[in-house]
Amino acid sequence: MDILNKIQESLYANLIAGKSYLLILSGLKITLIITLAGLFLGTLLGAVFCAMHYSNSRILRSISKSYIVIVRGTPILLLLMLLFYVVLAKTRMDAVYIAVIAFSLNSAAHIAEIMKAALEAVDPGQIMAARTLGFTRLGAFYHVTLPQAGAYARPVYQNTVINLIQWTSVVGYITIADLTRVINAIGARTADPFFVIFIAILIYLALAYATYLIFTLTNRRKRALR
Amino acid sequence: MIKVLNLSKRFGDSEVLRDVSVEIKKGECVAIIGPSGAGKSVFLYCLNALQPHDGGKILINGTDIADKKTDINKVREKMGMVYQNFNLFSHLNVLENIILALVNVKKMPRAAAIEKADKLLEMVSLIDKRYSYPDELSGGQKQRIAIVRAIAMDPEIVLLDEPTSALDPTMVGEVLAVIRDLAKQGFTMIIVTHEMNFAREIAHRVLFMDEKGIYESGTPEEIFVSPKKPRTIAFIKKLKTFNYNVSSFNFDLIAMCARLELFCGKYNIERKTVNDTNLALEEMITYILDHCYKRLQTPNIDIIVEYGDIDKKIVIEIIHNGTSVNPFENIAFMADGEESDTEDLGIFMVKKVASDINFTNEGGLSKFKIKI
Repeated sequence: MDILNKIQESLYANLIAGKSYLLILSGLKITLIITLAGLFLGTLLGAVFCAMHYSNSRILRSISKSYIVIVRGTPILLLLMLLFYVVLAKTRMDAVYIAVIAFSLNSAAHIAEIMKAALEAVDPGQIMAARTLGFTRLGAFYHVTLPQAGAYARPVYQNTVINLIQWTSVVGYITIADLTRVINAIGARTADPFFVIFIAILIYLALAYATYLIFTLTNRRKRALR
Repeated sequence: MIKVLNLSKRFGDSEVLRDVSVEIKKGECVAIIGPSGAGKSVFLYCLNALQPHDGGKILINGTDIADKKTDINKVREKMGMVYQNFNLFSHLNVLENIILALVNVKKMPRAAAIEKADKLLEMVSLIDKRYSYPDELSGGQKQRIAIVRAIAMDPEIVLLDEPTSALDPTMVGEVLAVIRDLAKQGFTMIIVTHEMNFAREIAHRVLFMDEKGIYESGTPEEIFVSPKKPRTIAFIKKLKTFNYNVSSFNFDLIAMCARLELFCGKYNIERKTVNDTNLALEEMITYILDHCYKRLQTPNIDIIVEYGDIDKKIVIEIIHNGTSVNPFENIAFMADGEESDTEDLGIFMVKKVASDINFTNEGGLSKFKIKI
């Protein structure tokens, strides 16, 4: 019974005392905001870089190419620090915004690459077939290229989302109280971090699983026409 | 309906088509044949501007397709196209494949489009497959669906680019049957094909393409029975012969024999004759490889087998560039029935199955002509 009592005590100290659970929830909120905003803006920006890759202008093409090479090769933490301590240091911008910018820039590079690969995987013969049926270039893109490229990109994109969730755990470095940082603070205060870290892992795991569920449930191939 | 004037097309530095002019009338079925690389498919692709042409004019119903003011999408709606690789939309099922353009390009109501698709699917007896995805269909089924998808748009012209070339031989028939049906319905059709018998059967006119243009054209009879120009004659003759080249000591004997069988099968040649031909070829090649080439040389043996329609005999021609040896000289004096003591039993056997053997050596090339 001794052990059970200890666990109960530890859980109380880490979660209930001083309303720690509220702290954890607010940390989770920050993590989700950075992830979702970074993903949304990163996808838009990624699409822009992907479009630039296919543009007729050589300058745009090389901008896109060098951006992807540089940003994909830079650790996200360094990018974060560069923005926080140097580039945007004087703006007094909220650190959460800076994190959103950093993660958007970073995921844009990855997502642009995913989109490129997916577009290239689409059979050009099918696009040609659509054109011979009278579709305009845009029509063929919308009805043939996009749905197929989307299907190819899906699993890799899902991966990117899960990676992104976990990578946001480094934003504590620039003073943001995200889930990881909050857990760290609680553990330091109670000097008994085992359970609280364990719970944090479970939360991240749940987020990854939720992502997996969202992707899986929306991926039912329609077997019959409605 | 289709008028092509001095069409030319180049890819970079290489000219593919030069000064091609042809006119195709409404309801006409035109077959395009010719050696690979003659620009047959490119010509077809030019007709609906999938490939922009470099010179000349293409008029479809009087509309210049290269004109800036022409809405090429409107022109393409009138031209169905069927591809060698089917190019069905892999993310859509059969029904969706057919109605996609009807609904989105022709703006037909969905229900009407489905009704139309069903009717056509019934025509090609694939109504059961309406909810299948392309990857669940056989090649022949895919191609029939692709044809339905093209004609669902009510095109005035149907272009078919080697529609049976990617198919398993067992499935060629079902696709040809559907195309034959289209021809009967009076579609204007242009079909690039290697199925010569089919071209001969359904085409009103055959265009033989070679040397960057239409080399010779005429009725199927004119092209297949009495071609006039040298390249056409050679091409048609080659259709009636079996050709093989041995370029290695370890050449693929089994594949060669299988192809020879296939060739003989086309002419219903007697079993014994086929076996004799096989035997003669195998022994001759073995002999030549052993005696005319050194181990490190690259052999180059050309084999041409021809079947004479009139005398019902097979003529084997073997041409090689190795050392000139005529093995038949030595055994010529051997009396019939006497036990052979020659180590080349193979040559002896060839002599037995052949009714006539002829050996010549000209300009370093040795040539055997063996009649079976």
